[in-house]
Amino acid sequence: MEFDLRKAINAISDVVQNRPAPIREFDQIYMKVADMVIQAEYVARVFDNKDVVFVGDGDGIALSAAHLKAQDVINYGPKSITLLDFDERIVNSVRRFGEKLRPKIEVSAYLYNVAEALPPEHFGAYDGFHINPPWGASNDGESVIAFFERGGQATKAKSLGIVVIADDPDLPWTQEVLRDTQNRALELGYVVSELLPQLHFYHLDDAPDLRSCSCLFRRIDPDRMHKTSQPLEPARLDNFYGKNNPLRFRYVRERITLNPDRESEQLYRLEKLEVNNERRT
Amino acid sequence: MSDALEKSGLIFMKVGLHAQESIEDIVKRKQREFEETGSIFWGYGGNTCHPFSMVQPFAKEMEESGNQVLIVMQKMNSKHAAPPEIAKQYSDDGVTWQPIPKGIEVRGSRYAMVLDELRVEEFDLDLGELQVGVGPSRGRKGDQYLMGRVDKGCFLYTPQQVPTTQDEKNVTSIGLVARVKSPYAVLLKT
Repeated sequence: MEFDLRKAINAISDVVQNRPAPIREFDQIYMKVADMVIQAEYVARVFDNKDVVFVGDGDGIALSAAHLKAQDVINYGPKSITLLDFDERIVNSVRRFGEKLRPKIEVSAYLYNVAEALPPEHFGAYDGFHINPPWGASNDGESVIAFFERGGQATKAKSLGIVVIADDPDLPWTQEVLRDTQNRALELGYVVSELLPQLHFYHLDDAPDLRSCSCLFRRIDPDRMHKTSQPLEPARLDNFYGKNNPLRFRYVRERITLNPDRESEQLYRLEKLEVNNERRT
Repeated sequence: MSDALEKSGLIFMKVGLHAQESIEDIVKRKQREFEETGSIFWGYGGNTCHPFSMVQPFAKEMEESGNQVLIVMQKMNSKHAAPPEIAKQYSDDGVTWQPIPKGIEVRGSRYAMVLDELRVEEFDLDLGELQVGVGPSRGRKGDQYLMGRVDKGCFLYTPQQVPTTQDEKNVTSIGLVARVKSPYAVLLKT
């Protein structure tokens, strides 16, 4: 791969500027910008000319891959991207940004919570999926597997899936979740096609050294595909964000403001400049 | 450390000047609040002890296993000069908000731990014998976790399996202790 790094970082900077602030209780922890460049280019390469669904994407990797292509930083990338996310702020910000990319790439975004069955229009509709779910530090990877299953349901028989999850050899839970995810992927008819270890850093104040890997899965056994999509069983919701930390909310709703791309007016006030008129005369 | 402490879930926190009020004055005010209301709301900030993703799951797991959760605080010099905005409402689930109970005042904080009686107790704690009990750093040793900008966290006591020399220990002095009680930690807003 060869591309102009400055143009790439500036393109990703546009996406970062567009993102709403992360909400930590939902594990919205944003990837650092240089690693977004790496991941977005990788996604664009793997999913070149394909229809891709992102099941959750607070980081903005979907828009980043699309924007790199639309800005001609790279000459490959997805044909279309579709985002399914439970945070209306993210859905709306992707729609706003996506309109500007439309001549070159189709971008759409919909409200969806993985606890619910996948809407029929998304079932088996895409060539590939991308997830960077809550990493399952205290729930044996349950949240990762739930997102993986939704990605699998949203894709066609011959498809790929990129899974971004924690990968730190010094933290046993990350390796256990990686193992359990691969086990479940095998049961669902996938094999690991490629694994880029310890690839990304995050704005994570209590674990600044914690990295994630990018694991590419290829479906080889379509007979194991789910025939329908069902809501998650209540027991799977109980420890969704960690032990005793259930999935309780359907959606994060956006408070409508007149300036969605600007600082909230509640966070600042204006103070007038007092002009000395005597000095003017 | 006592047996009770070693079996407890431990929330470690460095405390000092907060919202322009000295720690001594805060302790006196909080002890008065406990006498009047039977509870203390101990204000704090930072995601390492986020009420929903860290403190509540950690505390529920400890109580399910028949153990209590204690907050152990190290007094330190601090320059926390945030404006002393007083919280008016709290929520233990992010949806339902209630007025802060009469007699309780929390200043300059986004979150609060809900505590029982606040006791002045002095003892040494080896941070190397703590292990992060919840969240993405689960399993990391306390002395490695409490570096740089991290000044609080939820821990389990895990004695060193290999004897350590005094030089290898990372001992800190604890000055304040309280039991954390349900709902353990809450969000605040003005």
